[in-house]
Amino acid sequence: MSTTTVNQQNEWDGGVSPMNVGYGKMMMWYFLVSDAFSFAALLITYGTIRFSHIDWPDPNEVFSAFPFMGHTHLPLMFVSFMTFTLIMSSVTMVRAVQEGHRKNQKGVALWMGLTIIGGLIFLGSQAWEWNHLIHGGMTIATPWSQLDHHTGDVVYTAPKIFGQLFFTITGFHGFHVTTGVLINIIIFIQNLRGVYEKRGHYEMIEKVGLYWHFVDLVWVFVFLCFYLL
Amino acid sequence: MSTMSNEEYNANVKAVWRVTGILAVVTIVEVVAALIYPETMPRLLLNFFFIVMSVAKAYYIISVFMHLGHERRALQLTVLLPTLFLVWAIIAFLWEGSAWLNLRSIWH
Repeated sequence: MSTTTVNQQNEWDGGVSPMNVGYGKMMMWYFLVSDAFSFAALLITYGTIRFSHIDWPDPNEVFSAFPFMGHTHLPLMFVSFMTFTLIMSSVTMVRAVQEGHRKNQKGVALWMGLTIIGGLIFLGSQAWEWNHLIHGGMTIATPWSQLDHHTGDVVYTAPKIFGQLFFTITGFHGFHVTTGVLINIIIFIQNLRGVYEKRGHYEMIEKVGLYWHFVDLVWVFVFLCFYLL
Repeated sequence: MSTMSNEEYNANVKAVWRVTGILAVVTIVEVVAALIYPETMPRLLLNFFFIVMSVAKAYYIISVFMHLGHERRALQLTVLLPTLFLVWAIIAFLWEGSAWLNLRSIWH
């Protein structure tokens, strides 16, 4: 930063960075604020429509499958695994940021690599869950129905809007995870090429880190609205 | 962007693993509660518990992982204050949803 000769009675008068963050990092924060409003709009829509319905499917019944377990009734187990994967990839991302503060190129590469793997596991899990639900009959055009565990008869049919909201909101979130993984891969390669080493700082890792944590943060509320409440 | 001392680094790494533990335990407690909560007890109580726990998780992610807890006050406020609008949005729209339910039950 160039030295200024302006009369600096107030740090907001110019020439300094009152928030003490780089321009890119500050704008990433404000982008995330706006993105939080997009997700809030979707989740509040979910709440409004749910409140307007007399009946709503029980998440313990809708989300009770696990890969390779056949028809075993395992409520919430798979989504807990997905939640845990996303939390862990958030942790590895923080570690990458911390190694960046130390200008440790290898450390950044290791933890960024683990973050990307975590993101891919999450996306794979979501693909499996969608596939399972769609084959179980729930699409945006057809409602989810609960079968009797013994006879296989339909005992309950959910409102069609449940599936529409589920695929829209988890889809919008999954899209964010996908772009997050792509951005992480780009930054991972840039780091290996020594771009940040040459630049002298690793602030770019912090910026993509903020985006990645935000994706984890949104999942906390998607998990709350669809699987817990 | 200053390089941090070794001590500071170790303290930060420790804080991250502590928060990881908190987030994992809270998630496990939530899932266990969802599975074992007796149907005879009011559902509202359980939902209140879930919401409080989720807000706690959000606090730890934003404050520690996203490091907002250590940023300047001005940045903290410009990020957090706009989200207060959501409090009103939640109240207003859920109210709307209940009114809609009411109309539905009249018409059916």
